[in-house]
Amino acid sequence: MAKVGVYVCHCGSNIAGVIDVEAVRDFAATLPEVVVARKDLFMCSDSGQEMVKQDVRDGLVDRVVVAACTPRTHEPIFRAAIEKAGLNKYLFEMANIRDQGSWVHGHDHEGATEKAKKVVASAVGKARNLEPLEDKFVPVTDAALVIGGGIGGINAALQLANMGHKTYLVEKKPSIGGVMAQLDKTFPTNDCSACILTPMMVEAYNHPNIETLAYAEVEDVSGYIGNFKAKIRRKQTYVDWNKCTGCGDCTLKCPAKAPDEFNLGMSDRRAAYIMFPQAMPKKAVVDIEHCLNCAGREIGTLPKINEKTGRPILAPCERACTAEAINRTIAHNREGAIKEIEVGSIIVATGYQVMDKGWFKEMAPASPNVVTSLQLERIISATGPTEGKLLRPSDKEKPHTITFVSCVGSRDENFHQHCSRVCCMYMIKQARLIKEKYPDMAINMHFIDVRAGGKGYNEYYVGARKMGINFFRGKVGGLEMLPGDKLRVLAYDGDTASTVEYESDLVVLATAIELPQDANVLAQKLGLQFCGSNFFRELHPKLGPVETATEGVFLAGCCQGPKDIPNTVAQAKAAAAAAAVPLAQGQVRIEPIISEVHPEVCSGCGICIPLCPYHAINMITYADRPRAQIEMSACKGCGVCTSACPSGAIVLHGYEESQIFAQIEALTA
Amino acid sequence: MIIDQSKIDEAVSTIIGYGGHGILSCVQCGACSAVCPGVKAGFPLLCRNLIRQLLNGQLEEIIEDSSSWGCQACNRCTEVCPQGVRPQEVVFAFRRYQANQLAFSTSSVTSQMNLFETGHAVYTDPREARKRVGLPEQTPTSAFDELAKKEIQTLINNSPMGELGLF
Amino acid sequence: MDKIGLYLGCNIPLKAPDIEQSFRKIFPVLGIEPVDLQGASCCPAWGTAPSFDLNTWCVLSSRNLTIAEAQGVDIMTGCNSCFGVLSEAKHFMKDGDRRKAVNASLAAVNREFKGTSDVYHVAHVLHRKVGAEKIKEKLKYSLDGLKIAVQTGCHALWPTDVYKVTEDNPYFPTMLRELCEATGATVPHYSRLEGCCGMGGMRSTDAEKSLGLFREKLLSIKEETDADLIVTTCSSCFLQFDMSQPILKERGLIDFDPIPTFYYTQLLALAMGFDPSQVAAISQIDRGAVISEIQSEKRLIKEVA
Repeated sequence: MAKVGVYVCHCGSNIAGVIDVEAVRDFAATLPEVVVARKDLFMCSDSGQEMVKQDVRDGLVDRVVVAACTPRTHEPIFRAAIEKAGLNKYLFEMANIRDQGSWVHGHDHEGATEKAKKVVASAVGKARNLEPLEDKFVPVTDAALVIGGGIGGINAALQLANMGHKTYLVEKKPSIGGVMAQLDKTFPTNDCSACILTPMMVEAYNHPNIETLAYAEVEDVSGYIGNFKAKIRRKQTYVDWNKCTGCGDCTLKCPAKAPDEFNLGMSDRRAAYIMFPQAMPKKAVVDIEHCLNCAGREIGTLPKINEKTGRPILAPCERACTAEAINRTIAHNREGAIKEIEVGSIIVATGYQVMDKGWFKEMAPASPNVVTSLQLERIISATGPTEGKLLRPSDKEKPHTITFVSCVGSRDENFHQHCSRVCCMYMIKQARLIKEKYPDMAINMHFIDVRAGGKGYNEYYVGARKMGINFFRGKVGGLEMLPGDKLRVLAYDGDTASTVEYESDLVVLATAIELPQDANVLAQKLGLQFCGSNFFRELHPKLGPVETATEGVFLAGCCQGPKDIPNTVAQAKAAAAAAAVPLAQGQVRIEPIISEVHPEVCSGCGICIPLCPYHAINMITYADRPRAQIEMSACKGCGVCTSACPSGAIVLHGYEESQIFAQIEALTA
Repeated sequence: MIIDQSKIDEAVSTIIGYGGHGILSCVQCGACSAVCPGVKAGFPLLCRNLIRQLLNGQLEEIIEDSSSWGCQACNRCTEVCPQGVRPQEVVFAFRRYQANQLAFSTSSVTSQMNLFETGHAVYTDPREARKRVGLPEQTPTSAFDELAKKEIQTLINNSPMGELGLF
Repeated sequence: MDKIGLYLGCNIPLKAPDIEQSFRKIFPVLGIEPVDLQGASCCPAWGTAPSFDLNTWCVLSSRNLTIAEAQGVDIMTGCNSCFGVLSEAKHFMKDGDRRKAVNASLAAVNREFKGTSDVYHVAHVLHRKVGAEKIKEKLKYSLDGLKIAVQTGCHALWPTDVYKVTEDNPYFPTMLRELCEATGATVPHYSRLEGCCGMGGMRSTDAEKSLGLFREKLLSIKEETDADLIVTTCSSCFLQFDMSQPILKERGLIDFDPIPTFYYTQLLALAMGFDPSQVAAISQIDRGAVISEIQSEKRLIKEVA
């Protein structure tokens, strides 16, 4: 005979405003094996919890039912409470009479109360049959994987490494640095971006606890928190990075051309290239897609011999390299090589891309003098296509009038409804930098609103106005193409309710921030979900900003949503702290609400194995016969195997047959 | 200007009732006005500004303004709007409100009469010109088709237009 | 031959029947038989039923479409406004409740809208169904060396979500340019190409504002292209270009001679060798010089069978 205590919560007026709590309590007292039935204003309060604990301590109850809100948020609270009072925490059942009661049946008080009674009866039925369960623990691999080597990933890796955890930093480009490496200066301090970034890049790259895998991508991830196995594909560089000194001689000799992604297609690089001057690692890569295979010589073939000199005719890159790092005779595997690693936590910090101008038909995308903001950033950067001189792409002449257009693709139901958050500030930054250098430049900025919410941001914006930069409140509706590759801007001044039209030499579009296409691929590998704006979804928008629905996988930076550098760094450090928890604890708790096979009952039919969505079941030999066995750390307690087993050999702890039948009986009474 | 919620509600529901369903989606960005030929030509109450007035509850106050009748229905506003407002439909909803309150310009009365009498909003006698270019004098349209004219008159009489007492 | 309903609207059959004649001449040569829509009325124009009641608009537009449905043909319109009115009406008729209400009204005249006829513009038929290559084949005269400024007009371009045929980029349209280039002419871009000419509701409400807008457009054409002629596929635009240039000249608001304006099919008809007194006879701006130039012997390509 169980001694069930039922506690009904008013939850202020959340429940009591609809449900007659007194009636439910009275009803609960009549149920079989219920020895105590109480009610309280807020069961989760100190006094509410104390009420339950006292009954446990007094030996009055050995099974607890709380009729209140949702177990999703409050089950852990009550479990902890009864455990503190000395009762096994799994001898607890929650009846949700709020989300499934008062909140959805607000118009039918009588009906809601009757339903609450039934729900409580069901919970009591289960509680009577609950068995004590013990938490299980598995050891944790003390290592972390950070995917993405931008400012977010670098910070997360440094934080973890400084805490003493071995960290793998995987970056798909040949160098770490991310988008921040492409910026000229950063707002609101106008720090040189590379100057503040490179020390961190150096620190991360040289950190004894960080192993940087550049030009590598995550191929596959399996396992669970504390015990992930990841396959990292190290892409083929065709250059021996152990020998390469980053001198760049090969890049000077290579005849093949390709658009330079670092300069967003505004200049060319060679097929043999180094990503940018401050690259880390500073190593050359041969982009085999654009390699001309000089003299028709494929990779992995011998060079022809010069008949006169008797020496091999080497490719220009091979000949240029004094470190003998390029050898095209070697049959390099085009697929690169797989490195397998084991980690306890994973942080995803894969960053973002800006939309291409081609999407915006009304913004004259065919004109060379219409550029995206990131392209402008490259133009004004000293390492960019014009060595930092502000010149129009069409004729390399200095512009006299520049136009900035905000919200291109953002706040737009045709593309992205979200606000990309950083554009107002970076447009103001670019305008201020340009106005400083060229005081005579006419700069016209067109906004829907100016969003300057961060620290020092409003001051920065006001400062821009004081410099004589023009601000217009009205979205640009389109551009017309004029002779001489100029643009006519079709704008609007909402404040005076008049149209605005003028000729501009250079138009900068602040296009929306979004995730690249391959984010879908990564999401599938890691079980990541997407939110409404198509960024990776965090566990809870308010209280779980760095966690995901998959335990052990965390998010940092713009891949979770648009944000500026201070917020990216803050989130990266937060993700590192969260990711370090299982590593620091050394073990991971497995909730015992999982399935178990009774081997003596199991007939060895094997039906359960392909049904398990988590691949948690395999066959072992038990008493000379093959029987199924469930790996407890992989089992999620979904119950599919339990219901499928024809022999009834599998039990799902916490949802046993006797418990479920008792619930059905109570609900159909 | 005083903000009176009941006037705002009336303005919004009137516009929605006449077909301007997107009015509440407007964030007043101004892209529509930036490209509207009417705004460019100098009509004061179109697109963003018209929507602003309506969202301020100023329905009756602006009823005499002729700007809405300068809207070409070109729909460039609809094409650029980032919030799916379909501003042209809001302008036309306002027009319908004006028309049903008989607040339309006298010049447009001729068009309505022409439509009713001949089935064509603009009508001139075409026979001479048609003969000159080698076409049959009579057009194959309602202008010379008694049954067609009857149909059109029946349809107009049975409609809210008929109730305005113009015909 | 492919049949398609010829929806004439108001201005073309009543004010500019030479444009109508140009349709009737060129389409059969290009393999399309225009079918008359007997008893068709005004689309109805934006300033009429659409400005009074949405359902009444749909009733009158649907009546026109049922005439085509009865003959089992799609329709092509010569005027952009008609194209816009009819296309949008058809789009509104997708709503089940509205369809019921409209068909209830149409029942009074024994008609029922089924939605089986699609709405095209003459330009769409020429560009997509016929194609530049076929047009080239049927030319008698080449317009090589002539500079044309094109006017696509508004309603053919926007809103793209309710039209059957749209430009790849409506802000930088190419269909009319390609149709003109098929005759051998050069068609330079000008910055205000996609802009409104000011005809329509704007002109009837405030002619001065309409003229102001039109003048900007005209100056863009003159200064950026110095075109020999202007070609449009909208009858409303045609009237604006033809009527208002002389007005501007008279008032001293432009200092150059009005540029001769043609509806595209008129130009094509001339290039095919048809009689100008039938296909390009009615205009305020004297087009005689350009017409003679187009149909001059030196421009003959081959004998048309």
